[in-house]
Amino acid sequence: MKDWLPAYAAGSLPEADRERVRAHLTGCARCRAELAAWEAIAGVATPPGPPPDPARTVRAALTRSALDGSAGPADPTASRGLSASGGPAASAGPAASAGFAGPAGFASYAGFAGAAAGDRRARPLRHLLALVRAEARLIRLVVPVASALVMALGVALVLLPGPGLPGGAAELVLALAAPVVAAAGVAGTYRSGTDPAAELVAATPVSGRLLLLVRLALIFGFDLLLALAASAVLALAGTPGAANVNALVAAWLGPMALLSALSLLIAVRFGPDVALGAAVGLWAVRVLAGGTLVRDAWPARFIVEAWSTSAPILLVSAATAAAAVILSGRGEPHGGWRATHPM
Amino acid sequence: MAGRPEPGSDHELLRSVAAGDAAALARLYERYAGALFGYLHRLAGDRMTAEEILQDTMLAVWRSAGAFEGRARVTTWLFGVARRQAHNRLRGRAAPEPAGPGLPDRADLSTGPEDLAIAAAGGTPVAAAIDLLPEHHRDVIALVFVAGLPLAEVAEVLAIPVGTVKSRLHHARAAVAAALTQEVPE
Repeated sequence: MKDWLPAYAAGSLPEADRERVRAHLTGCARCRAELAAWEAIAGVATPPGPPPDPARTVRAALTRSALDGSAGPADPTASRGLSASGGPAASAGPAASAGFAGPAGFASYAGFAGAAAGDRRARPLRHLLALVRAEARLIRLVVPVASALVMALGVALVLLPGPGLPGGAAELVLALAAPVVAAAGVAGTYRSGTDPAAELVAATPVSGRLLLLVRLALIFGFDLLLALAASAVLALAGTPGAANVNALVAAWLGPMALLSALSLLIAVRFGPDVALGAAVGLWAVRVLAGGTLVRDAWPARFIVEAWSTSAPILLVSAATAAAAVILSGRGEPHGGWRATHPM
Repeated sequence: MAGRPEPGSDHELLRSVAAGDAAALARLYERYAGALFGYLHRLAGDRMTAEEILQDTMLAVWRSAGAFEGRARVTTWLFGVARRQAHNRLRGRAAPEPAGPGLPDRADLSTGPEDLAIAAAGGTPVAAAIDLLPEHHRDVIALVFVAGLPLAEVAEVLAIPVGTVKSRLHHARAAVAAALTQEVPE
């Protein structure tokens, strides 16, 4: 009898049972006292305030359904939307629904809960791919075309039949062209004023660092492939002193990495224009130091050593690039250009 | 399989919803608006969150009405959907927020300072004590006393035996009683 009291107080007992409880209550003071306690709870359990308006509520739900892009209930795939908004607890849902939805219902619930789990795992990857595609569209055509032209010019210079190119010319040309091409490209990756999406990027909810990394991967990857292709072409063409692809790659890889990393760091700190100038300047010093103007003085030897392919140089480049990425995203967009000028 | 549901029944209404009839969804909601929203309000603790969960629930009903097979009562299914949506939205929330300001419905019971404090916190002492219950107790109280479901249906919604529903009810009542007899520190 005690077990019926809550339902009696809630008014959810069938009439026949109500009658029996009522009859019992007249002769049982303990149950009357207990009922009073249940009625105290029943009386205040419902929070005050009317429920929201039906038309408004249904309209809001249907609008959301339309905005989410999935069809109404007639569409058999529509139930997927439920779990997408449901999250992980949807997998707890089947247990609750299995009791009354039956085996078929259970299977469909379990099915779309699984699909949703797959969605969740794949989402970051798909998001990144979409980001890469979007960024690739934003790169101005002139950047890859100019890079490719400079590299092609270098290759042509070595390959063209001409009088007296010294041995090792292939290495020299690649070593001179590849780093500056990559550094120039990298300089434009960060908050460049000519970026067609500069304002959009400044206002984007995507982390600026992530955007920078994606751009770097695209630009530097492209230049890396370009230089590799040039090396392969020169090696296959049997240019004198260029039979070994490894040696060819070693001639430009280290300098390319270091100059690009420095260019990026300067771009992040001082803006793309300064970075481009600095990269070209640094590289000019390196070319002069390795050339005929200065010979055998220790600074020149040091400079040439610093611009070579070796483990320490590659490590320093990686560290510099990492520092640049960490530094990025600080301060106001567009480098030194403040939104307000100092008075 | 059962034949055609009776005209005008909940089941019939849900079939119309499954066929894409938005007016049927509004009628179904109207039938249970008080119970459904009260239940969500009690679970969520504040009206704004409850309204959000209500929308989630209507969206879920709209989308998954076709999955209802008629083996259970529509109310059981409906409150099951609502409860799942509430859990999705309230998951990870540390503690139930106190109920929003509302008129205490038994302000004449007493005028002691602690009662005034409770009333200021947004309800009667009993309502305040219910708000402090652990979630699985509050869920049972809300389904029995706010939604007004019979114990057997409550058991189905929660996917627990009826005996567990009864024991949770009694634990909840004991906790409310204990909270009410507790001395309120000055």
